[in-house]
Amino acid sequence: MITVSLIIFLIVAVITLGSALMVVTARNLVHAALWLVVALFGVAILFGLLQAGFLAVVQVVIYIGAIVILIIFAIMLTQRNALEIGSRFNENWGWALGISALVFAALVWAIVSWPGFHVQAQPLDARFDSVAELGKALVASNGYALPFELASVLLLAALIGAIVIAWERKPEER
Amino acid sequence: MIGDIMTSLWAILPVIVLALWACVLLLVDLWLPKDQQGSQQGESNSPITPLLAALGMLTSAAIVIARIGQPTMGFGGMMMADGFSHFICLLLLASGLVTIGLSHDYMKRLGIARGEYYVLLMFSLSGMMLMSMSADLIMVFLSLELLSIPLYVMAGIATPRPSSEEAALKYFLLGAFASGFLVYGIGLVFGATGSTSLQQIVAVVQSGNYNLALILGGAALIITGLGFKVAIVPFHMWTPDAYQGAPSAVTAFMSVGAKTAGFAALLRVFVLAFPAFSADITPVLWGLAALTMVLGNFAAIAQRNIKRLLAYSSIAHAGYIMMALVPYGQDGLSADSVASALFYLVAYAFTNFAAWAVVIALEQAGEKGLELQDYAGLGRKHPALAAVMAVAMLSFTGVPPTLGFVGKFYLFRTVLEGGHVGLALIGVLTSLVSAFYYLRVIVVMYMQEGEPEARREPWLQAMAYGSAIGVVALSIFSAPLLFLASQAVLKLF
Amino acid sequence: MIPLSFYLIFAAGLFSVGLFGVLARKNAIAILMGIELMLNAVNVNLVAFWRYRMPEMISGQVFAVIVFAVAAAEVAVGLALFISIYRRRGTIAADQIDLMKW
Repeated sequence: MITVSLIIFLIVAVITLGSALMVVTARNLVHAALWLVVALFGVAILFGLLQAGFLAVVQVVIYIGAIVILIIFAIMLTQRNALEIGSRFNENWGWALGISALVFAALVWAIVSWPGFHVQAQPLDARFDSVAELGKALVASNGYALPFELASVLLLAALIGAIVIAWERKPEER
Repeated sequence: MIGDIMTSLWAILPVIVLALWACVLLLVDLWLPKDQQGSQQGESNSPITPLLAALGMLTSAAIVIARIGQPTMGFGGMMMADGFSHFICLLLLASGLVTIGLSHDYMKRLGIARGEYYVLLMFSLSGMMLMSMSADLIMVFLSLELLSIPLYVMAGIATPRPSSEEAALKYFLLGAFASGFLVYGIGLVFGATGSTSLQQIVAVVQSGNYNLALILGGAALIITGLGFKVAIVPFHMWTPDAYQGAPSAVTAFMSVGAKTAGFAALLRVFVLAFPAFSADITPVLWGLAALTMVLGNFAAIAQRNIKRLLAYSSIAHAGYIMMALVPYGQDGLSADSVASALFYLVAYAFTNFAAWAVVIALEQAGEKGLELQDYAGLGRKHPALAAVMAVAMLSFTGVPPTLGFVGKFYLFRTVLEGGHVGLALIGVLTSLVSAFYYLRVIVVMYMQEGEPEARREPWLQAMAYGSAIGVVALSIFSAPLLFLASQAVLKLF
Repeated sequence: MIPLSFYLIFAAGLFSVGLFGVLARKNAIAILMGIELMLNAVNVNLVAFWRYRMPEMISGQVFAVIVFAVAAAEVAVGLALFISIYRRRGTIAADQIDLMKW
């Protein structure tokens, strides 16, 4: 049965996969990063279709707003001209293509062999507030308080690590 | 409710202490008096920082020891502080302490002594300890990240030395890639069973309401992800470069710590959650173990650089430990499987630290003194260090009276009990091959003439002798250690 | 209506595209972008499983949030590393950084 949401899904999925392909094949890294924005935005729309509105917002704010911006900064800081010299692929790209195709085939086989293949989503309970539930789960001690806290420790460790690495040590500087 | 929270916190108290200690140490380090000469280069090489870090690890270890025999579960079954995790945590904390001993003078000598190094070491250690306790796949993933991210940085801490940066880059790219695999695999298992908690996965599997293809796909991806971390073939390509380029003390920690934590997670996840699928998973593990032993040992023969040699040796030993995992699902064998893997991890840790201590003692500035030829004449000039290295090489080979021999003995026994004669045969044959390159180091040290220079640094020497004595002494009195390892069975509460 | 399998196959496709990027690209930042695509595929999987299989339990969404945090931490460390290497060598092509053989 073809419905509006199915049409939206198909269009978004095709655009997202297409731009993901552009990300990994674009010669110009800035273009690749911009295609990444399109792909991530497509994923955000899919989150919306899945009624995970909060995650869709987080996807846009964190992924596109922070991570991709950071990547673009890094591209600007590291490429004299964003074009890569010579081939953008290494000499193993044939192998890479084969392995990726194999992984894709294996995953699709695993999914298709599953009887839950054609499961349809049950409508969510109207009283079910997924943002409130998410918030509660993240701080409940028998829920996910520990992973939540651990994620903050992880971010702290990453912060310290990034500073340690990027700190340029010049002898004349104290 | 409050009692619940207290029990939960109590379960992971050693890790909380360690992580908080690291945060405080980060601040304390700023206020410590700096060595004038060192601070010119922006270094902070106060001797107090490593001492405080060691004190934190000792505190954490004291808490673990006080808790032996009292298994606790916390956070709704997410964390399990049981005999298994106590054993692994103590091994990891001991490794952390030895690493501090190896690093202190070495980092100063290279001009890269920085307080943050010890903070990162403690964060990484907290991740490893959490990994040994995780009974939930989300926690396995998160603690893997917490152990890896500081390690990437530590591998690159010798900037601006190019090889160190290169090591960090390769380790980072492949590590991040591997965690992508791991988390995709966890996602599939989550989809197939509806939960990430090992307890609930077991419950779902027993009720039969799951999908086999998705679980097996997930398990394969989890093996891939963790396989990168413990360096089994064919996921080992980062290992030689990362081990060679990283500062030697970091490599020593990386090889023991990441391997121990990775195998702890593999053991817990597979023994607890996937015993029902052993018929499908065992052949895969069999193949990976065999491939790793063969490739690791044969590639090591060609190495002339001692750090690369130890890197390939570390790959080969990942294969031996993997052997213990092969019969994990057979009735009555999972306890033996866990015990022999734990025992071998201890043997590997002691032996490895002994070898790396000697490597660090002989390493000269600018990555000199790392070729095999630089060891010529060591037996005459520094007999004690040469003896330590010889003990380590014999233990790696598996010659009595060393811990490596006892460890291999239990490994092969477990594998034979599981009926995998072919695998045991491959293990024995590759051990014979390994004798070739390990004994070559001994031959070079004792039979060839040379003038090697070695550092005499008190902590470094203490660690070298301590590990070597441990390798021999524990092999003679191995019964208590094996008893402890056999107490560390994995079971659900 | 959209069956679950559509989402799963989409995620598998995204994962494989990312995988290809990681394995085939030379530039380290391009490789990192491939890893980001892989992590996004994971998140699509997790949220789809949550919505179709256990909408009453929130764990899928929690897991997705954790993956976000991890992705951010990895990118921060990785980019610091890339910039530090670029300062010294003028390149971050992974195949030109080969003082040591792979």
